[in-house]
Amino acid sequence: MFNYDFMQNAFMAGTVVSLIAGIVGTFVVARNYAFLTHSLSEIGFAGATFGLFVGWPALLGMMLATSSASLLIGALESGYTKRDNVTSAVSALAIGMGILFLALGHTSTTAATGILFGSVLGISHQDLLLLVILAFIVILVLLFNYRALRQLSFDEAGMFLQSNSQKMVRYIFLVIIAISVSISSQLVGSLLIFVLVTLPAASAKYYVTSTLKLMGLAVAFALFGTWVGLTIAYLTNLPTSFFIAVIEVLIYLLSVWQFQKKA
Amino acid sequence: MGIIETKNFGIRYGERVVLSDVNIDVPAGRFFALLGENGAGKTTFIKSIIGQNQQTTGELLVNTTLIGFVPQFRDISRDYPLSISEFVSLSYNSGWRFWLSNQEKKRISESLTRMDLADIADKRLGLASGGQQQRAYVAQALVKSPELLILDESTASLDHEHKVALLQNVTALQKAHNLTILFITHELKLVSQFADGYLLFKNGTVSQGEAEDLNVLTLEMTHRHDEDEVRNV
Repeated sequence: MFNYDFMQNAFMAGTVVSLIAGIVGTFVVARNYAFLTHSLSEIGFAGATFGLFVGWPALLGMMLATSSASLLIGALESGYTKRDNVTSAVSALAIGMGILFLALGHTSTTAATGILFGSVLGISHQDLLLLVILAFIVILVLLFNYRALRQLSFDEAGMFLQSNSQKMVRYIFLVIIAISVSISSQLVGSLLIFVLVTLPAASAKYYVTSTLKLMGLAVAFALFGTWVGLTIAYLTNLPTSFFIAVIEVLIYLLSVWQFQKKA
Repeated sequence: MGIIETKNFGIRYGERVVLSDVNIDVPAGRFFALLGENGAGKTTFIKSIIGQNQQTTGELLVNTTLIGFVPQFRDISRDYPLSISEFVSLSYNSGWRFWLSNQEKKRISESLTRMDLADIADKRLGLASGGQQQRAYVAQALVKSPELLILDESTASLDHEHKVALLQNVTALQKAHNLTILFITHELKLVSQFADGYLLFKNGTVSQGEAEDLNVLTLEMTHRHDEDEVRNV
């Protein structure tokens, strides 16, 4: 199966995406940002259709939309409003706009399903290069803010006497999530972002008790699902996203089950 | 020079005056109980000390930057993944290194030992008992060797035995390291065994008193204290 160029690209893209999704997912799950992540993928859909409408690459439109939306959500969330409510409002607006741009741009349904459900087998060399560059930036930014980000995600209540750079971390984190969601949706589609960003980290937290091990195990779960999913998809000619989803959900259910039995 | 001094200090929230005419002087190395009904401004005052209130009048001098703070509410569910020792290490929240230096490791293990957590350092915080969790919160606040430790109702959810144990732990530190402790609480009877003085939040201002006066207050407020105990159960 690796004789085919498109399968090589798919495996490489899958590997890069799983790496990012597992690492970023660890912080997303710890900070209870699962709903935000899901909403960002809907917002990403709007961004992608806007991109196609004005003639940009879908990924660029997606990143612009998700980044600005997550900054908006970050600025709006405060002691007065519940985070989830703000997120719903912004994502409702986004889906509406996504439908509008889809109609205005006369975008084909193939392009739309590609955005919604992923099109990993259609990834080109150029897409792959872009993915690798973005992934590199995300990992670099994450590493440089590791300690502040760890406290923000795992124990926000304990954060006080903050320096300005620590206050910035909230926003840096939101943009990182936005970019990661955009990258991941290349693989599983924006509807299934949960599958790679949230589920592997949510499963991993039932086994290990340190941040670094959490990231490692989340990446391993994501990689396993992606590689096995791609292989079965190749053999059966059925959608990759379906198999990745099934594998990750199974891992999650098993993890919860064994934890409840133990605890 | 006291570790916390105020001169005609006041705090507002928009139009509402929370505290005014506060004139207190807390000497270093003492254990002070912060008393008063809910909504009397105890937590708001603490927020000013840790630099989170903007709308203040008068003067507030905090003569240390080494502050440890244990907030009242924390969101720790049963599936919270981090171990107690990793939770304590979250205090090291600046810089980019994703590993701990030897110095940092040493401080963390000292802090764990002080709070009797060394044996369960690898236990999941989410699966630890209420008393263990509170001790972990205090251990986290102690990691950077603070000169001022602020506890916001840290004993409220514990049974009597654990309440006493926690306060014995922190008063031992107070004596050994000249640590100043501000302890927000409703549990007068309990705290009167440990405190050197108190700050009473009442009628929009704060009055300061010595430990001897606590017993008088205890009698006056016994009725209310009982109500609080019922609520805490």
